[in-house]
Order: sequence, then structure tokens, then C-alpha cells
Amino acid sequence: MIWCGVTESCNKPVDGGSEVKLTKWKVKHEMVQPLSGQAIYVVLLRELKRYWRAKARVISSVAQSIFFLAIFGLGLGGFIGGFGGINYLSYMAPGVIGMGLLFGSVFSGVSVIFDRQFGFMKEMLVAPVSRTSIILGKILGGATTATIQGIILMAIAGIMGAFTPSFAFVAGAFAAIGAMLLITSGFVGLGVAIGSTLNDFHAFQLLSTFVMWPMFMLSGVFFPIDVAPLPLQVAMLCDPMFYGVELLRWCLLGAGSPLLGSLGWLISLGVVTVFDALMVGLGTCLFSRAQI
Amino acid sequence: MNTINTIEVKELTKIFNGDVKAVDGISFNVKEGEILGFLGPNGAGKTTTLNMLSTLLRPTSGTATVNGHDILTEPDAVRRSIGYVFQDTTLDIELTGRENLDFHGRLYGLERNTRQQRTKEVLELVQLTERADNFVKTYSGGMKRRLEIARGLLHHPKVLFLDEPTLGLDPQTRRSIWEHILHLNQEKNITVILTTHYTEEADYLSKRILIIDFGKVVVLDTPDNLKARLEGDVVTLLFKDPAAIESFRPLLENKDWIRRINVVTSGNNYAAMSRMMQTMPRMPSNIGMGGAMPEMDSINIEGKRTIPEQVQQKSEQDIADKNLQFGGETCSKCLNLLVDKGGHRIPEIVKLADESGIILDSVELRKPSLDDVFLSVTGRNIREEEGSFIDMVRRHRIMQQARGRRVRG
Repeated sequence: MIWCGVTESCNKPVDGGSEVKLTKWKVKHEMVQPLSGQAIYVVLLRELKRYWRAKARVISSVAQSIFFLAIFGLGLGGFIGGFGGINYLSYMAPGVIGMGLLFGSVFSGVSVIFDRQFGFMKEMLVAPVSRTSIILGKILGGATTATIQGIILMAIAGIMGAFTPSFAFVAGAFAAIGAMLLITSGFVGLGVAIGSTLNDFHAFQLLSTFVMWPMFMLSGVFFPIDVAPLPLQVAMLCDPMFYGVELLRWCLLGAGSPLLGSLGWLISLGVVTVFDALMVGLGTCLFSRAQI
Repeated sequence: MNTINTIEVKELTKIFNGDVKAVDGISFNVKEGEILGFLGPNGAGKTTTLNMLSTLLRPTSGTATVNGHDILTEPDAVRRSIGYVFQDTTLDIELTGRENLDFHGRLYGLERNTRQQRTKEVLELVQLTERADNFVKTYSGGMKRRLEIARGLLHHPKVLFLDEPTLGLDPQTRRSIWEHILHLNQEKNITVILTTHYTEEADYLSKRILIIDFGKVVVLDTPDNLKARLEGDVVTLLFKDPAAIESFRPLLENKDWIRRINVVTSGNNYAAMSRMMQTMPRMPSNIGMGGAMPEMDSINIEGKRTIPEQVQQKSEQDIADKNLQFGGETCSKCLNLLVDKGGHRIPEIVKLADESGIILDSVELRKPSLDDVFLSVTGRNIREEEGSFIDMVRRHRIMQQARGRRVRG
């Protein structure tokens, strides 16, 4: 058992009528929530099982990425050629993998809406485990399934000839898997935060149009930040996914955007880590005060 | 007789948004191994009370202990002591039955061997062993309910909360779930609180019944004692011409052996209801079950409770409307009398009807049921969906508040 007080600020009752006077000890007891390894594991396991069984979801997302790589990568690539000595298909590949990660992870976070709608949330909330354990399981599970998706896409891009097989690439691929876990954790956290705030799935469409697509298109998947006009560059620098794609590009191609310089991978790693911490915190916080 | 209190509730109150009192200072104790039935109409505060007892909702004031643990200071110990079968299904339908149980077992920190052993046990108990490895989405409503009850037992709780355990189930399934609940209670000595708005369910299962209305405890007693309070028999009169009720009622009102007279439409007794269903296999679709629900107004001879005049008029109007809709079905309106020594009075009633030229279709004599008890203590029929407008708005608000409420982490 690890003791953790992550949700301290969120555990204050939000309902107006909290006339209950709690002693200091009682308040402390409420705030300090024990993490249960088994609870985290079982929530993670459930995510994996559900992912594995939702074959249609996996297939459609993989197919979508293949279309991007084949049609844009090969079609547009023949016209553009490439950027900075990298051919266009290779340039796009990390971005398309990033797309799979982004959509997979945000949606698995947002699935807390479904858990609530279909009642399973109550089963988890009435158990003698903290909400922090549940949400950590959810985030780890979502990150794992999105990363599996990313690995599948990486393999497909490899088969299409996006990467040059070498010893350095194999090492880079492993680094990329680590990067994927890191990137997706933050986005599952974002998804949980959104899912805990929104109350119905009609908001899905809005979420997709106004959050996911801009994030994806500004991530530098189709063009490097250097060729974009200034306002667009600013927007891209504000997009956390941009740093995620940068990081993947460093891992898989060994080079990044000239704008960030030769330490671009370190900057990206830093931004992604900070984003993770913020989003996991925000997700846990909003989930803890969400309604059933 | 056991005297240990497994649950002690003291002045428990829940106020939503500062002014909606969902639960209003209720206190009661539940003894070890007892089945307590929470009986009350929708929105009476049953689920809100259970949510507070299970630490999902924080009480506005008051407290309670469950299995010796305070709900405010020891929420984890309370959660470990209880199994909660919620009103709506809370299974993951994408998982199999066994996986749902396994999930639960791990969440409650059971070791692998214990988990497998108990999974086997509870599956046998609810007779789902053969379907355990099918996805829950292929289960029927009754099977889902049984699986949820099994799941609630997996961690060997001392107390089981069942929120409307048979809501929306067919009679056979309902009966089999009742048997499961009784069996569990007797075999494992599990203390049970069940909420229901089916009086026959509360009557059949509960050792004691707590009638709750508008967030307050109206009465708490054994089913037999509750029925004994009514001292007398219920005589139901069905007329050839329902309009005769109005001319016949005044003749009965001055008889001192009649304690209460109710005009009931569609029968608030099951006999009348089922008869109506048989004779009318197809109900007009625009009426639905709502139309078959009983409507009543009541005149209390003792004068303790009277229904406000406008409500009475509204009911009368409804009755008239419904009679039209039912096409003058004879038992759609009958007269319910609470009578001392009903058997002896029937000849007198029949004679009275004869003398005034009113033709009785049938006369029925029975012991008071919990429906009658509910009627007498709250002044309203439990299945009456329409109550007064203000009641309706209030209940609606409470239900909405209770559903959309933050639960404690």
C-alpha cells in the first residue's frame, strides 16, 4: 500500500449543505487515500480485455492510418519529395502513428462517460478502493492500449518502407515505445478530465472537431513547423501533440525540427512530461468530484 | 432473538441544494440477520438513504454505523462490510459473468484461490454456473439481476443492500429472486435492507417494514403488526353500474362499523387488477400501464386524514375519464370498505344495496394487505403515480438531484 494525497484539494464536498463538522483527524482520513495495486491492475486488465474484444475499433483505426500513409505519404510524397533530406512518407510516419495514439488515448479516457452511463462506475465507486487507484488503472490501461495501437502502426509504416532498417533504428523503435506510453498517459488524462466534465456522448462530435482534429493537424504531421507562417507556428508550439510527434520523429528518424534545434528531443521530452503530470492530475481531480 | 444492531441510523438527513430535503432526520436500527424492507413510493428517499449508508453520498447531518463502523469516519471499513445491488444494472456487459465476478473480487482484494472458490460458490447459489463464461450482454434481465446479487455476495458482506431488486422483472423471476434472498439470509445470516415499492415484496421478505415517505419514517413494524393495526377486514364491492357508487356511498357513511371508505379505480387489490387484465387482453395503447394504475380518493370516517378537496376532485375527474377509456369495464371502479368483522357485515351490506335498488356484481372479503396499511398511514396509495401536482414536482426534483449527485470518493 502506498499512501498518496493527490486528490486532497478535490475531496472537499461540493454540495452546499455540508454542515457536518469534521474533526481534523477525520478530514485527514478522507483526504489520504491508499492506492491499491490490485485495483489499479484490475481496471487496467479490463481496459485491455475490452480493447482486445473491440476488433472493429482496432481495425478501423489501423485502416485509417494506412489510408493516410498510402494516399498522402505516397501520393503527395511523389509531388513534394521530402523535407530536409527525409522522404515524405518517412516524414509523415511518426505523425500518423501520433494520430493513432492521440485518438486512441483521448477516447479511452472519455470512455468514463460510458462507464457512468451504463452504471459500471457505481460498481467501482462503492468498492473499498480510492478513486485515485481507479483512475490510475484507467490511465495506465488507456495508455497501454493506445501504445499497442501505435506499435501496430509503426510496424505497418515499416512494411511500407518508411524506416531504414538498421541497428540504430531498432534501438530507436524501443525508445519510441517508451515515448508512446509517456505521450498517451497525458492524453488519457485529458480524456478523463473531459469525460468527467461532459455528461453525454453527444458532445463527442464537438470534442472530435474542436479538440482532436486541430491537435492532430497542428502536430506537424503533414508539414514541418519551419515552413508554416508565424501565427500557425505559434499555434503549433501550443499543441502538446506537436512535441509528442517531435519526440517520435527523433526516436524513429533520428532528426527533428530545425526550429527546436539539436536539443529538440530533450525539449519535447520535457514538455510531454510536464503535460503528463498536469493532465493526470487534472483527470484525477475532475474524476474525483464527478457525478455518477 | 439476536439483539446486536448491525445498522444504527441516527437523525440521518440529506438536503440537496440547500432546500430539497430528500431524507429528513430518519433514525432506525437493524438487527443482525434481519431483513428490513424500505417501503415507499418513488422519490420517498429510499435510494438516497442507501447511498448515504454505503458512503456514496455524504449526509448533510446525522450519522450511522454499519457493522460497527461509522459511515463518516470509516468509509473503507463500511464499504468492505456491505454488498450493494443497485437499482439499475451496473455490470460490464462486454465482459463475461465470471469476469465481472473476478473484477469485483480483485477490487475487494481477494486472493486468487479465495476468489476462484467463492466465484464457484456464488455462481452455484444463483444457478448461473453454466452461463458463467458467456458475455453478460447475452443474459436476460433476470440473469443479470442474479449475477449482480451473486457479485454483491462475493466478498462475504455482513450487510446486503438491495435497491428495488425485482423492478421490471416477470413474476416467475421475481419469485425466484425472493427465494434467493431468503435463502441467503437464512443460510449466511446476512443482514439485508431492501427497498421496494411493491408491498407484496416487502410483505413476503421483510421481518420488519419501514414505511418512508417524503424522507421521513412514517412507521416501522413487522408486517403482521402493521396489518393488525388496521383491525378489521377489507370488503370490496363491485357494482353492475359503477355510477351506483355515488348513490350507495352516503348510505354507508353513517354506519359506525365501517372505519373507512375508499373509491378505488382499476382495483388497488390484485384480484381486481388481474381480473381486469384477463377480461381485457388488449389495452388501448394510449393508456398503457399508467391507465391501469389505481386511482383512489379516501374519506376517513375517523377524520384523522382527509385528502385535500382539489385532489379529490381531480381523482374524481380522472376516474370518470378512465371509465370512459376502459369502456365501462365493471371492476374499473369499486368500493373498498374497512369493516369490523367483515364476514358478519356482508349480509347487512347486501341487504342495504337490495333495499336501495342497487345491484352488486360481486362482494369480496379479505384481510388487510400492506397496500391498505400504506393507504392508512400515508393517506395515499403506494402505486398512485399522479398524486398532487406539488408532490409530483417535489419527487421529480428529488429524483433528479439524487441521480445527478456527486458521490464521495
